[in-house]
Amino acid sequence: MYQQINNPMGQPAICIKRIADNAFIPFDPANTDYAEYLKWLAEGNTPLPADEQPE
Amino acid sequence: MSNLKVNTINDASGGSAAVLYGVASPPNSMGFRNRIINGDMRIDQRNAGASVAVASTVFGYLTVDRWRVNNQTDGALTLQQSSVAPTGFNSSLLATITTADASLGAAQYCFLQQYIEGFNVGDLAFGSASASPITVSFWVRSSVTGTFGGAITNGAVNRSYPFNYTISAANTWEQKTVTLSGDTTGTWATNNTAGMTVFFSLGTGTDNSGTANAWAGAQRFSATGATNLVGTNGATFYITGVQLEAGTVASPFERRDYGRELAMCQRYYWKLDASGGTNINGNTYPLASLTTASVDLPVVMRASPTITSTVGGGTLTSSTGSTSTLVFVGPSGGFYLTAAAASIEL
Repeated sequence: MYQQINNPMGQPAICIKRIADNAFIPFDPANTDYAEYLKWLAEGNTPLPADEQPE
Repeated sequence: MSNLKVNTINDASGGSAAVLYGVASPPNSMGFRNRIINGDMRIDQRNAGASVAVASTVFGYLTVDRWRVNNQTDGALTLQQSSVAPTGFNSSLLATITTADASLGAAQYCFLQQYIEGFNVGDLAFGSASASPITVSFWVRSSVTGTFGGAITNGAVNRSYPFNYTISAANTWEQKTVTLSGDTTGTWATNNTAGMTVFFSLGTGTDNSGTANAWAGAQRFSATGATNLVGTNGATFYITGVQLEAGTVASPFERRDYGRELAMCQRYYWKLDASGGTNINGNTYPLASLTTASVDLPVVMRASPTITSTVGGGTLTSSTGSTSTLVFVGPSGGFYLTAAAASIEL
């Protein structure tokens, strides 16, 4: 299971959070964890939405 | 002054391998002969020598650096860096079977492997008519005797060369050598992705076993008929001194200094040394309600890594990394890192 991440600087997100171990996975095609995430998405899964940012 | 000019120096017994001072001089003998990293199992950043359990269907980089396990059997094992080693080595990787699976299904397997980055094997010219022969040598010791198996494959594991070797005496170190012709077909990456793989099977079903000593256009982890170590509860398997080099000669294990070997491992995995010395720079941004802390990595990593961490003083919003720097983002009140790791294994 994964969760989307808000980029605190207001820029587009550049990583996804793997909930099982709180790992932050970058959107890099050379990263095998990212490849697994894409495979998970392709199977029809959807990540949890990002937490709301503090005011 | 004498001036000696020759084109080749060959051994008197024939062939092309000259022996100087009792040591065969293989191709690429001027450095980085051994394409395997941590072949002597000295580096164990993840566990510092502690044992790790590998249950059924578990896989990943769980043990000594650069070595991956994949257990798709009904059995289980432990992996641990061991001080039991042959003369000339101080460490080995020990696999101990803790739950046996004596009757493997056709699709089941358990192996140790190392992916080699394409940059480090591109000169071997696999996938072309100029493919170089290679030689794999290693030391093994097992409580079980018999014919064991392994394989050399490309990164995608769709070109495979299964091999076997015999462990003749129980609980005795033996050095094994496998020499093979380079593969002239298939796709062999020469960039920062997986270029080549070495497998040491602990038990492989028929689906992923193949004819020994021949290239096949299929996924193979072992040679047909090899011993199923996972089938024996309590069985032990030690391995060290793993070397993969160009040519047809198994030269002596290439000794690299500890700092260099550690740095080579850190291209794929880095763990924060919480005892101090790591460069951590923090900045607070009150208007954005956040604090950032950056860590300069000691070695340029293979690609942008996956980051895990444990923090005190708050919860991280995100962690991002380039090949040279990690940036942790947390609450505006600040936080501190108690553990962190970056992984970009193949």
